[in-house]
Amino acid sequence: MTATDGPRQSHHLLLRRLHSLSGIVPIGIFLLFHLTTNASVVWGAANTRMPGEGLERGVATFQHEVSWINNMPGLLIIEISLWLAIGFHSILGVFYAMSGKSNVGSYRHPDNWRYTLQRLTGYVGIFFILYHVATLRWGWTFLVPGGTLWSHEFAASTLAAALRGSQEGFTGAGIAVSLGYFIGITCLVFHFANGLWTAAITWGLTVSVGAQKRWGVVCAGLGVALMGAAWMALIGFLITDPGDARVIEARMGGGSHSVPDEHADDAIGAAPLGREP
Amino acid sequence: MAIAYAHESTADQRRANRKKAVDGRTVICKVKRCDGPGKPSRWESFKVPVEPGMNVIACLKHIAQNPVTSDGKTTTPVVYDSGCLEEVCGACTMVINGTARQSCSCLIDEYAPREGDTITLEPMSKFPVIRDLWVDRARLFNSLKRVKAWVPIDGAYALGAGPKESQANQEVRYDISECMSCGCCMEACPQFNIEPDESKWDTSFVGPHAIAQARLFNAHGVGKVLKNDRLDELMGPGGVSDCGNAQNCVKVCPKGVPLTESIGAIGRQVTLRSFARFFKGR
Ligand code: HEM
Ligand code: SF4
Ligand code: SF4
Ligand code: FES
Repeated sequence: MTATDGPRQSHHLLLRRLHSLSGIVPIGIFLLFHLTTNASVVWGAANTRMPGEGLERGVATFQHEVSWINNMPGLLIIEISLWLAIGFHSILGVFYAMSGKSNVGSYRHPDNWRYTLQRLTGYVGIFFILYHVATLRWGWTFLVPGGTLWSHEFAASTLAAALRGSQEGFTGAGIAVSLGYFIGITCLVFHFANGLWTAAITWGLTVSVGAQKRWGVVCAGLGVALMGAAWMALIGFLITDPGDARVIEARMGGGSHSVPDEHADDAIGAAPLGREP
Repeated sequence: MAIAYAHESTADQRRANRKKAVDGRTVICKVKRCDGPGKPSRWESFKVPVEPGMNVIACLKHIAQNPVTSDGKTTTPVVYDSGCLEEVCGACTMVINGTARQSCSCLIDEYAPREGDTITLEPMSKFPVIRDLWVDRARLFNSLKRVKAWVPIDGAYALGAGPKESQANQEVRYDISECMSCGCCMEACPQFNIEPDESKWDTSFVGPHAIAQARLFNAHGVGKVLKNDRLDELMGPGGVSDCGNAQNCVKVCPKGVPLTESIGAIGRQVTLRSFARFFKGR
């Protein structure tokens, strides 16, 4: 190894290690907060500071959280860094995934299945994240059955409508979207939990079989808890009636903090909410 | 180091098969054949009368004496590689019923216990076929050269006694030193793909065995003088970070080499080495 090999060689490792790191910080950490925030639509039912009872409180808590996030200073910077990280991790991830050739047919062990699933869930994850952000953040309503536009001032009601495919009951397309969400979040939670397990080997934190097992238990525990939060959130939004939720959100002033009242009134007037002309 | 094989159920099945093996039976030996590098492969089946305790090599010897396929066509003897015939040289490795193992230690009773059962033999898929079941494992040895899997003691004068070795270190090293360069771990690894182009062998994945051997020689009192060279190689393209943690390698290794532990250990050494290089420059 001559000194001239150095930069090219450490580059290879650097990219690999940045890929590993980016999966945890910031993407994994964000996932953790994002899913627990979303689950507030259910755990918020225990939030006695919110008006109403049961899931009404959940809707209000979720609205409160979303408004808080939307008023966060430097939100744009956070969002841009997340995008850079996800883009970096995904593009390299596809390259890395393509460098292997799964053989679970011949070697059927759980570890080998996880290896294969890690790659599969990565691919599914890209599509899900793109759909999720395009429809709810960039407002590509033509991809949403029923054309619902998500609004951070009417967070739960517009999300519930997007999942149903209409303001009222579930449509066939709505069920497809909901199913897509279930698959998407399930894949990403698995991907993160399993990634946390492999990352410890990658960095050399877990060396012995025993250490790998113990860390595996920790990652599995985190994965199960996170999966619980993710499914809880999805079920919460699926059973939320968009109409009822909108009343609660409007009462909160169409967002709790700095949204002027007249905006809230506009929003209430616009029925069905946010639908494209 | 005891490693729990996810395989245990199939090993149990194989043991059970041995007990219920039928005496005086004939089995079908299905072989993937190829006349030479770059030639197309084809399947040929042979009827083989089984003797008690017969292994795959004995089966192939029977075929060599009677090279007639089960549909009556005369063909050539099946070519294979072997050496020790006691699972210590690694030369006879092939893919048997879909998984890589040594054919000399592979008992027909375990794989084809009943009359008319089929046992399938294929060459390893990650190395170029020379002929039939015989493959060229040169890339495996090239990987060992890449990581300088040796103790540098060549010189013009006697170096004297070697350094003292602790019992604990010995125990770690002994398990890794059992590697016989058979290729099973590479055959099973989803990140190790066939690379016929020899010029790419220095940048394609070294394979789990080489990572383990780097750990072995880094832990050796004299071998560690090359530690940085080994780690620098393993930080580059095809190094340790190309492993995707499928952990197949450790499950198929016939010698129980702690491959995944070595991948973790080298991951750690490489992490520390990259910090050292970043902050100290070397
Ligand atoms: C919410 C989004 C995501 C999170 C939280 C995440 C997290 C992680 C983590 C923590 C790892 C472990 C790194 C290691 O083993 O050292 C990982 C690995 C991986 N990720 Fe992601 N990831 C996400 C999205 C994606 C996407 C969209 C892809 C696209 C295919 C992807 C592809 C991969 C691949 C292929 C690996 C394995 C890399 C290797 O073993 O060399 N990930 N991810
Ligand atoms: S753990 Fe790494 S080296 Fe071993 S089989 Fe899996 S990918 Fe290959
Ligand atoms: S590590 Fe095991 S499977 Fe790999 S070459 Fe050595 S003995 Fe064979
Ligand atoms: S002939 Fe040596 S391992 Fe089979």
